[in-house]
Amino acid sequence: MAVSPLVLPGAAEKGGPTAKSKLQSAAASSNGTPNAAQSSTEVNDVAEQMNEDEKAKYVKGKKLGEGTYANVYLGHISSSPSSLVAIKKIKVQQQYTEGMAPDAIRELKFLQELSHPNIISLISVFSSKDQNINLVLEFLPMGDLEMLIKDTSGVRYGMADIKAWMGMLSRAVWFCHENFVLHRDIKPNNLLIAADGEVKLADFGLARSFSDPYRLMTSTVITIWYRPPELLFGARQYSGAVDVWSVGLVFAELVIRVPYLQGINEVDQIAKLCMGVGTPTEENWPGVSKLPDYTVPAPPSPVMGIDHYLSMFGTVGQEGVDLLMKMLIMDPRRRITARQVLEHGWWSSDPRATKNEDLPKKGGGESKVAEDLGRRPGMVDDERAGKVARKLDFGGMR
Amino acid sequence: MSPKSIALVDNPMDDMCPICKSTRYLNKGIKFLINPECYHRMCSTCVDRIFTAGPASCPVPLCGKTLRKRGFKPAFFADLGIEREVDIRKRVGQVFNRRQEEFETLLDYNDYLQDTEDLIFDLVNGMAKEKLQAEEKLKAYRAMNLQEIEDNKRAGLEEADYERRKETAEKEAARQRRLKLIREQEEGKMDVEKSRRDMLERLANTDEDPTAITRQAQKVILKKSSARRNLTDSSSDPNGGLPLDSSLSIRGLKKKVAPIAEEAYDPFGGINLTPTRYVLNDEYENEWLNGIKTDTRILAGGYSLPEYYARTMFEAFSGLGVFINDEVGPKAKPEVRIKKEVEIDDDVF
Repeated sequence: MAVSPLVLPGAAEKGGPTAKSKLQSAAASSNGTPNAAQSSTEVNDVAEQMNEDEKAKYVKGKKLGEGTYANVYLGHISSSPSSLVAIKKIKVQQQYTEGMAPDAIRELKFLQELSHPNIISLISVFSSKDQNINLVLEFLPMGDLEMLIKDTSGVRYGMADIKAWMGMLSRAVWFCHENFVLHRDIKPNNLLIAADGEVKLADFGLARSFSDPYRLMTSTVITIWYRPPELLFGARQYSGAVDVWSVGLVFAELVIRVPYLQGINEVDQIAKLCMGVGTPTEENWPGVSKLPDYTVPAPPSPVMGIDHYLSMFGTVGQEGVDLLMKMLIMDPRRRITARQVLEHGWWSSDPRATKNEDLPKKGGGESKVAEDLGRRPGMVDDERAGKVARKLDFGGMR
Repeated sequence: MSPKSIALVDNPMDDMCPICKSTRYLNKGIKFLINPECYHRMCSTCVDRIFTAGPASCPVPLCGKTLRKRGFKPAFFADLGIEREVDIRKRVGQVFNRRQEEFETLLDYNDYLQDTEDLIFDLVNGMAKEKLQAEEKLKAYRAMNLQEIEDNKRAGLEEADYERRKETAEKEAARQRRLKLIREQEEGKMDVEKSRRDMLERLANTDEDPTAITRQAQKVILKKSSARRNLTDSSSDPNGGLPLDSSLSIRGLKKKVAPIAEEAYDPFGGINLTPTRYVLNDEYENEWLNGIKTDTRILAGGYSLPEYYARTMFEAFSGLGVFINDEVGPKAKPEVRIKKEVEIDDDVF
């Protein structure tokens, strides 16, 4: 994909060291043609040598945090100590002793290909001596959207700010979809904030490319609060509409500052969905009852009308509510697509989206970066929902 | 009313005209007027008497200022010193009407405010000489900055006007919404009523199974209400209503003063990913895909064939129009192709 006619103008000649290192690491990992400058004696040695070179370009600093899935270190480029990076060292996992963990593969595979201002950029990859994969990622020090949403007393924001954040998120999702990648884990704490206020979509540990016809995908993706009804009903063939639903719920959460549909398990999530959006029935979603796990609580509640949304989310204006409702249409075929989201009239209506530098922010601190990057995909922090087992251990930092 | 009644308590002289000595006791409707030339108080009868014929000098001894009837007005403040200061402030404010945005730093703005305040003090409390100087300064400043003063005045008016219009638009939108809601509720009620009547009629006139009829009627009502809801959803065109701008005012947002030079917000961030080397159709015929087009289960899950078409077409055309020589030649960099790895089977997870 990196050498295709649709690549962004300028992507090919993008910033020297970044682009180069990406290519080299790719060469190292995929047995690419050996460098012309080096005499091709033995392929393995060349690959190892390149890996060593790549590794030497970065200095690993203190550990920022530890998760079950990865450790995150602060680092910098050897030649310039002020250029900070985050180095995510993926742990060898018990289940996947042979080869790499699938999350790591997914993350690598897609971050390597997607280059967009609103998607976290993978600067380089190398393996350290114990065969661990190290991802060198952009260092995003300002925390994530969840922090801003939760800090109701310290952070205040308005429609223009929501519009700016949603614009960046929608662009990121649109870009993924245009490049045939489903993110499958969109939620506020996967939306990291760069020093300049830019929101960046991170954590591609659950991403995959669009499925071929008849090819089944797993339905247990996306953190449960942001999971669309078709996945809750066990659909194995779905589309980019799943991400749009998550975007819609992030939108709703930005407005009311609390997750809109907070189920404790999948059954409860369906119940919350029926109450908050409406009960999916054959009438509003033809064919839904054929989905494998279709069960809805007994008396069907009607689909919520615009009055409900206006009373709850009216702060984003009529156009904003209209967009939200289109994102939360239950039938994935009628749900707005990522492209249509960006074509919606809300973006051009008043007030204009806040400029990045004027967006409200809150010092995130390094520990939050580590927490975000080291989290297991598809999970919420146990502090937020009591049901998740994996704990983060910050013993390493003090 | 209150200032006058308080004044009565404080000083009975306030209720007597200093010129004709008539009092409120004798003349209930007595009204006092002042002229901003000298701020001497007199009753409206005196004003009529003295100045109707044309300009005359102030009847107060030793004043002698020439006054016109046109200049007289009722005083807002009982204390005429305050009345005078307020008048002066108004007059100065119309000339010194710069806004904070025009200054580079807050300090500059504060200095400007200090200067203005000094000038006002001279005009209010200064001796004759200082007053004269201040007047001169005011006049000179007005002459120098005529254009800018006009601009700021207009901007101020526009701002006030914008606020007013915004408020009315919001009120109107809220009213429309309320009306619509009421209308819908009434229609809904009537509908339900009608269905109920139909059901009763059917129960009375036919000999079908009564439970079946009631169940069906219930369904009809439900269906109707949901249909109506869908109707209103689609009819609530966001552009149809009045423009409801910035109904959200949580933070003290900075006013955008310079609408010039700001480009329209581009939701796509300046990126256009429309394929340039081929045209993507909405529909492609392929026997292999017919299974999907008919399988409700796949369709209900939202599987999107257009997405598949887009990807297949993209992959088919990838690499076309890329000339390796162009890329290798000048940079002398080895061309590294990322080989497509074997797809990982997603199903296990």
